[in-house]
Amino acid sequence: MQLTREGRFACALGVACLAVFVASPVRADGNEASSRVTLFREPSNSNSGITVIHPQVDAKAALGSTVSLNAGYDVDIVSGATPKVFGARMAATGLDAVTSASKFEDVRHETRGGIAFSRPVADVAVSYGYGWEKDYRSHTVTASTRSDVLDRNLTLGLGYTHNWDHVCDANNSAAEAQPLERKALATSEHCFQATMPDVVSRKLTIDSLEASLTWTVTPRVLLQGGVSLQLLDGFQANPYRSVVLGSQGRLAQESLPLIRVRYAGFARFAYAFPEARASVVGMARVYRDTWDVRAATAELTWNKYFGKVFLLGVRGRFHQQDGAIFYRTAPDYATQGPPGQYWTGDRELSSMKSALGGAKVTLLLVPERTKSWYDELDLELKWDTIFYFLPAGAPNADRTHALIWQLAASLKF
Amino acid sequence: MVKGALLLLLAMAASACGHQPVKAHQREWLADRIMNLDGEPQAKASDQHILNNREGAIGGTGTSGGGCGCN
Repeated sequence: MQLTREGRFACALGVACLAVFVASPVRADGNEASSRVTLFREPSNSNSGITVIHPQVDAKAALGSTVSLNAGYDVDIVSGATPKVFGARMAATGLDAVTSASKFEDVRHETRGGIAFSRPVADVAVSYGYGWEKDYRSHTVTASTRSDVLDRNLTLGLGYTHNWDHVCDANNSAAEAQPLERKALATSEHCFQATMPDVVSRKLTIDSLEASLTWTVTPRVLLQGGVSLQLLDGFQANPYRSVVLGSQGRLAQESLPLIRVRYAGFARFAYAFPEARASVVGMARVYRDTWDVRAATAELTWNKYFGKVFLLGVRGRFHQQDGAIFYRTAPDYATQGPPGQYWTGDRELSSMKSALGGAKVTLLLVPERTKSWYDELDLELKWDTIFYFLPAGAPNADRTHALIWQLAASLKF
Repeated sequence: MVKGALLLLLAMAASACGHQPVKAHQREWLADRIMNLDGEPQAKASDQHILNNREGAIGGTGTSGGGCGCN
């Protein structure tokens, strides 16, 4: 595998962080190494669905009591079948959904490294990440800070992330102003090769800002409120996806606005039950964006210790959203055409509901001896199921649920 | 909506100013891992990665370090 210049830089950054981690002369608490493997399976009623294997490794090295370095690497190994065409065509018997799906395989890598400064009442952290796959490249810089104020009664958190992304697309320069004429990208084979005339690289920048205020209400209750803002500027469509438009069955590449501003307000809480050695953690979020997607999400998690070594968590999550202003079902795109110059076959821009249920069990191994070489070893097994509730004619309506299994190990020393 | 969220934050801050602070020795349970709003960072990153690709909404996951002042 030939790494790009940015990939080599990101790998060098990760190796440098790892070298400091291994060679650190300071033996201090706060060193951590963790790994996690996720198996994501979204079966389909009409094809092989989607399978993702997602290994992650992360390490953190404390350099004294104030400074720490961290580095991480993860991979998405994606395989399965996905419909490249969203729509329905007129037939003698009425409207027929286009159900053909293309098999595909892809591998996405991401590496990251960062540094954090921690003081008793404030933290500052900055990090850089680089992600790459055959048709997408992404640079990410993140800065976050936390400050405790009013006798540590309140904690103010601020986080900012900037992405510089490049997306491979079919060269539609001859039809730039005519979205109905644009053709979808057929293959990623020529992506990011400057000499290939059939592809172009499109830019996408993302600025994300999140602010939160956490209130320590009582010795049992934490309450948090916050806002999230995100501005996306650039190419945001799936370059491979086409949508069938109008009764003539015209096929055009997915067309989305270049600008999207996303707003969310949220509240979270944690309530302790010391007698039961348990807690309840909850979240509620409302969301709206300039594509007129409106959503509400709620999540509740119950945690409880069993004995000295077991921690059980059970959670439920519900999400509901309206579709984007330019979203229509496949039959509506076929019979009415698009509402303007934008159209999509993205499930995440459709009207939908989803419900998540899951549980995890963690084995907590803390050495009996006070001078052990490690402080704690955690082993975790986690399972989640997501159920999708989609109306007929919605994108990916053949996928009714997803299964997620995770196995994780974390060592503190 | 953003105005509403900011008003909520303001109300929280105002309430906290007039509230008896929780003492350090009373924070034993608040510092426990099961009271962490963000959960374990690697698990949180994995969760966000999955959900951001399956919901049309983002945000509400909390900024790094938003906690209970238990350091």
